[in-house]
Amino acid sequence: MESLFSQLAMLGSSLALIASFLLLWRRGIPAYIDAFVLQSLALGATTALVGHFTGNPELYLVAGLLTAIKGVGIPLLLRRMARRLGSGRRVPPYVNTATSLLVGGLLVLLAYVVMRPVVQLSQLPTRAGMPLAMGLIFISLFVVVSRRHALTQVIGFLMLENGIALLAVLGTYGIPLIVEIGVFLDVLMGFLVMQIFVYQIHETFQSLDVEQLNRLRR
Amino acid sequence: MSAASGYALALGQALLCLALAPGLIGLIRWLKARMQNRRGAPVWQPYLELRKLLAKETVVSTNASWLFRFAPYVVFTSTLGVVLLLPVLAVPLPLGAAGDLLVAVYLLLLGTFFLALAGLDPGSPFGGMGSSREMTVAALAEPTIAVAMFALALGAGSTNLGEIVARAMARPAEAVSPGYLLAFTALFIVTLAETGRLPVDNPATHLELTMIHEAMVLEYSGRYLALVEWAAALKLLVFFTLMANLFVPWGVAVQLGAGALLLATLTYVAKLAALAAVVAVFETRMAKLRLFRVPELLSVSFVLALLAITASFLSR
Repeated sequence: MESLFSQLAMLGSSLALIASFLLLWRRGIPAYIDAFVLQSLALGATTALVGHFTGNPELYLVAGLLTAIKGVGIPLLLRRMARRLGSGRRVPPYVNTATSLLVGGLLVLLAYVVMRPVVQLSQLPTRAGMPLAMGLIFISLFVVVSRRHALTQVIGFLMLENGIALLAVLGTYGIPLIVEIGVFLDVLMGFLVMQIFVYQIHETFQSLDVEQLNRLRR
Repeated sequence: MSAASGYALALGQALLCLALAPGLIGLIRWLKARMQNRRGAPVWQPYLELRKLLAKETVVSTNASWLFRFAPYVVFTSTLGVVLLLPVLAVPLPLGAAGDLLVAVYLLLLGTFFLALAGLDPGSPFGGMGSSREMTVAALAEPTIAVAMFALALGAGSTNLGEIVARAMARPAEAVSPGYLLAFTALFIVTLAETGRLPVDNPATHLELTMIHEAMVLEYSGRYLALVEWAAALKLLVFFTLMANLFVPWGVAVQLGAGALLLATLTYVAKLAALAAVVAVFETRMAKLRLFRVPELLSVSFVLALLAITASFLSR
């Protein structure tokens, strides 16, 4: 039973990690949104799984909220934004695809090294997934700093948030519900603010290339 | 098992693979055709093609050296040699001592290497282009195969193919562990690249500027072409067998017996057909990648293999 639980938790966290690699590999905002949906669903499933095996009904509610907000709501808004802004000129990232994939692989290795003491301390059956969640956080950070397209950066930020949620659920079996709801509101607000920013950037520069923001200095 | 029956089994396995290989290609083509609303050639069409080619006259360019005549035999026998080492129907393998995973993988690469040389040899521009591309793909795919295989070998604690299969059967829960799944995905991508399937190479064309395999063998005809094509089909079968029996080993016979072997044969054919269906679906749904995006696809597979080995090494 224990081993089945840890296997499934590991599977869920791997799926979430793979989704972040999809973000590094594929091109175009619609593909990124698909990757984000996949990741949110994997996160929701992992949360529900932890809820099932630990007998904590609150986690089902969290999983439901996760799936509703991150799996359905935000992607809907993202798709609408992508449609309204149009595809526009392609904005190449700072780091090319093959290199960013390799960097992603190295970041996961780094996450294993960083999380080693924590994993050794922990007794939870879900501990094997924690380095993957950390790797997901690192990769999302890398996406935020290596991409020039504003919408891609937003998706990178959302994935970063997913990574933190995954780490929380794997490492502590979920934080109290009230905190969780606060975090959701935070993400939603953050996303709405970023949405306004993206529209403003588009309005001012007719492009979503954040490099253009440097022109504001002059 | 006794030595004699062991060798008979190895030989029988090899003959079975040799016989099934063209049929596998035929099955993929037929499935693809059905999915694209075409009637498609029958599944046994590749056998007819091979017979036709074997009967035809062989034309060799006057610029070609002995290497050109020699290469098809090397390609064919090296691939056949791999089949002798594979756990197709039963474990433990009688020839297990003769070679393991590494030997199998590098025998396949030996064939690739000679085929690339043969593409260069007659001095036609197409052949050189094909060889250069094939080497690029092979150089990028090879580390992935090695790393993915090591992920499996680490799990089993041995690079012996039979051991890996036996270990996977003993611990079925491992088959859904992320290490295995990632290694499987990596190996699947590499299979598509190494055997010249979409999205890396288009197997349905004979004249296209971006072709890889066909460009190399463009100068071959008659008997030589038959050998090269048969070896290519066999190579696809070898990769499918690796994927089917190393990752989903159930059905492989552990003792020799008529019933167990029959069951093993049936499950083996069923697994091959399932993989063929997956490849056919992929090839119907995907367009060929631009040549310059192939390295990106292969670095995806490399990263997957890297994650696989990390998962099986660090989370033990």
